[in-house]
Amino acid sequence: MPEQQLMLLASSLLVASMIVASYYVIKAKDLVYASGALAILGSLNAAFIALLGYGLIAAFLVIVYVGAAVMFIIVSVSMLGGAPIETWEPERGIISAAAVAGALGIIVVSSGIYAAYTSPTSPVDLGRIASLIVDRYLVVISVIFVALAATLIEAIAIARRRV
Amino acid sequence: MAMEDVILGQLGFIAAIAMAVIGVYGFASSRSLVRQLLSIEVLFNAVLIMVVILMSFSPLNATLLAIALISIVSGEVIVVVAVIAAVYRFSRTFESSIMEEEGV
Repeated sequence: MPEQQLMLLASSLLVASMIVASYYVIKAKDLVYASGALAILGSLNAAFIALLGYGLIAAFLVIVYVGAAVMFIIVSVSMLGGAPIETWEPERGIISAAAVAGALGIIVVSSGIYAAYTSPTSPVDLGRIASLIVDRYLVVISVIFVALAATLIEAIAIARRRV
Repeated sequence: MAMEDVILGQLGFIAAIAMAVIGVYGFASSRSLVRQLLSIEVLFNAVLIMVVILMSFSPLNATLLAIALISIVSGEVIVVVAVIAAVYRFSRTFESSIMEEEGV
C-alpha cells in the first residue's frame, strides 16, 4: 500500500510540475528560457509516461524529442538571438482556450474516458515490437522514414534559400 | 480495474487538458513565430499523454503509435525552425504578421 501511495504522490507532483512548466513555456519573456522549459516539460512528460508503465515510449521521448528536437529549437533560438518585442493578444487566447477547455471537458466527462486507462500487465517487449514493425507495419514505417528524409532535405533547402 | 489505475488515468487527463488549454492560449495570443512553435509543442505533449492513456487497452499498438507520433513531430520541428530562420533572415523579426504584410 505505501508503494502505491508513493506512486500516486509522485504522479500528482509530476502533473503539477508539468502544468507549471507548460505555463512557463508560454509566459517566459526570454525565448531561450521558454525553450529550456519545453525540454523540462518533455522530460517530466517522459517520467509520467514511464509511471504509466510505458518505459520504451519514455526513453524514446527523452532521446529523440528532448535530446534532438527540443535541443535543436534551443540552439536555433540561441543562434538567432533573443526576441526583441513580442506582440500579445490575450483576448483571442482566452476565448480559444475557454472553447478548448469546454469542449475537452464535455467530451472527457460525458464519455467517461477518464476511466479508460489500464496499466499494462507486463512490460512492453522490444522483440515483439520489432517483429510487429517488420510483419505488419513495414509499409507505414517505410513511409515515415522516406517522409522524414524528405523533410530534412526540405528544411535545409528552406533555410539556405535567399528569401 | 484497480483504483490506482483510475486515479492515474484521471491525473493524466487533468495534465493533458491543462496543457492543451495552455498550448492553445499561447498559440492564439502570441504573434511570435517561436512562441507559437513552443505552444504547439506543449499541445503535442498533451496529445501524447492522451494517446498513451486512450490506447492503453493495447500496449503494443500504443507504443508503436507513440513512436510514430514522436518521430513525425521531430521532423515537423526541423521544418518549422527552418522556416522561422528564413523569415528572420528576411525581416529580422519573429512576428508572424510580417509574413502577411510582405507576402512571404
